[in-house]
Amino acid sequence: MAVRLPEVSVAEIGVTAVHDAAEIAAPRWRRDLELWLPAGFLALLVGACFLWPLIDHSLPSPVGGQLQNANVPPLSRGALFGTDNLGNDIFSRILYGGRVSIEVGLGANLIGLCLGGYYGVFAAFKGGLIEATMMRILDMFLAFPALILAIVVSQFLGPSELHVIFAISFFSVPAFARIARAQTLRLREQTYVTAARLSGRKDRAILFGHVIPNVVPNLLTFGLLGIPIVIIVEAALSFLGYGVPPPGPSWGNMLAVGQSYLSSNPDLVIIPAAFLIATVLSLNLVGDAVRDRWASR
Amino acid sequence: MAILGRRGAEGNPPGQIPVHVRVEVLFYAAEVGGGPPAPARRLAGERGSWTLGGHRIVTSVTLGAPAASTPPRRNRLLHAFASSPSLRVIGRRLLTAIPVLFGVSFITFSLLNLLPGDAASSLLGLNATPQELKALRIRLNLNEPFFTRFGHWFGNVLSGHFGNSLASGQSVTSILGQRVPVSIELILFAFVLSVAFSIPVAVLAARHPRGFVDRCSILVSMAGLATPNFVLALLASLVFALHLRLVPVLGYVPLRQNFWENIHSMVLPAATIAFGLFCTYTRLLRADIVEQLVAEDYITTARAKGVHPWVILVRHALRNSMFGLLTLIGLNLGTLIGGTVIIEQIFALPGMGQELIQAINNRDVIVVEGVVLLIAVVIVLANLATDLLYAVLDPRIRYGRSTS
Repeated sequence: MAVRLPEVSVAEIGVTAVHDAAEIAAPRWRRDLELWLPAGFLALLVGACFLWPLIDHSLPSPVGGQLQNANVPPLSRGALFGTDNLGNDIFSRILYGGRVSIEVGLGANLIGLCLGGYYGVFAAFKGGLIEATMMRILDMFLAFPALILAIVVSQFLGPSELHVIFAISFFSVPAFARIARAQTLRLREQTYVTAARLSGRKDRAILFGHVIPNVVPNLLTFGLLGIPIVIIVEAALSFLGYGVPPPGPSWGNMLAVGQSYLSSNPDLVIIPAAFLIATVLSLNLVGDAVRDRWASR
Repeated sequence: MAILGRRGAEGNPPGQIPVHVRVEVLFYAAEVGGGPPAPARRLAGERGSWTLGGHRIVTSVTLGAPAASTPPRRNRLLHAFASSPSLRVIGRRLLTAIPVLFGVSFITFSLLNLLPGDAASSLLGLNATPQELKALRIRLNLNEPFFTRFGHWFGNVLSGHFGNSLASGQSVTSILGQRVPVSIELILFAFVLSVAFSIPVAVLAARHPRGFVDRCSILVSMAGLATPNFVLALLASLVFALHLRLVPVLGYVPLRQNFWENIHSMVLPAATIAFGLFCTYTRLLRADIVEQLVAEDYITTARAKGVHPWVILVRHALRNSMFGLLTLIGLNLGTLIGGTVIIEQIFALPGMGQELIQAINNRDVIVVEGVVLLIAVVIVLANLATDLLYAVLDPRIRYGRSTS
């Protein structure tokens, strides 16, 4: 009757992982479609964001537009999506803003994966007081409202894309660390880890040879599901004015500008919103599909 | 009398090698006086062994010591605390929360200290002379070293004083008193809306999995989960406030001033927050109900007894799924508070989030600390409540069982 609260709180089970296990699987072509359609969109988007500006030299610059070209409606000559209140070409801003989103999304998750993953694995592997202390330190960051932490960090470092990545890493690292810890706790009890220990392998060797290779696939899936979240946070930070410095192209900046002209020119909001939603939706779909297919449970 | 424990110490998979599995049965003479009961006495000291599928099983029976007489209850509260496991757990969790809260306030203080500029420079603006700045810094105690200021502030907090705003001189408690009710109203309103809509939708969707309602709800949830709440706020105010003119775009009316106008001004921000929650809750509830309908025996029993499908859905399945929903609500509270910051900013609601951003911009350490500490306390309590609730509501989950 030992009554003890679980050391792992319910938070770690993963709220987003609402999974319909007990259902009849959808036909194969539909499952394929759910993976490859959004994946195709993402490939197109990434390709357009990174390659189009290199190929098409007539693409206007995303900043420094002329005021006499301001507020051109969409589908006009030379401006597919029109121009904003300062005369900048919206299509070009979407492409460069997409670059920012993708870079931040990947960057913050990579940092989280490497630092947080190692932190969590190390803590769980050591166990005892070291683990407890390390996890309490994480609790501090988790009890901190993420957005506020990001605002303070990005204000301290000064607004720039790289600093946004650092700021967001402050809470992607604890998230990865918790998942990695939970995974490691499970692995630590596995027979092959015990066998390795009994056969006299060093802790380091067990850590790198047996534990980490088994944690990484799960962290990768988690990271894939984390990219859309990071993209949203980046947009939110930029929207509030703490992300990419204002004239610079970012979907969040574009939405912030659009808010001021919501009644006169709603396109300024609708176009970046559509791209943001489509990107996040596709990433969610791809992440779910990948998890369902390849993640070990 | 109770069997205290069985220890299968040296268990191994069945194979050719005979192995020892020792099973110890302990009898415990407890409440009843007069020693262990007769069957236990007869068995005591008995050792038996037999072979079963390649295992050699050894049993031994030991008598437990009679329970020590309960000590006199000096302090009833203390006794209740020490003897109730869950109270002890709560106590321990609250104790571990103290260093976390201390750490949170220390990080906040140092982060704001690291930010360029201070309260004096942001109050006086760009045209201030060095003399004015110096005078104001002395007046606000900003010239003192960092640790002295933090120690001073923390000491005050321990004695229940949260200090005064550096910018306005107003006390933090009175600022929070004005701001917090707005945020609470927003969050409660959003919760009520989301739960009120997600329960019927989830039940209807689970009635026919892959049916029309189900497909629609999945589509809506997918779209909703992909839409950040600030984007939704912009789109919603574009449609409902600017085009349809159903609600005002901006402008907060206090609750005390006019109830209906207050609801009118809060409905759009609350609905924006609620939509995201609605999508999460609906997906969770629906998946949970469907899983029960397929897998659980009591559903099959009810079906076999001829209970009406709707009754099964609502009275059996939904009831059990509500536990999961409650957990999720508890867990969401933390992220939700963070999320209201941006919504309050967009709709110009005078809530906690708006105050926080303003205070960060003013480098008003004392106010920032007050808000952050409040949020941290709420998150810690919500996590604790969720963990406890989870164990209380679902008897299959025992505290001791940790991961996996």
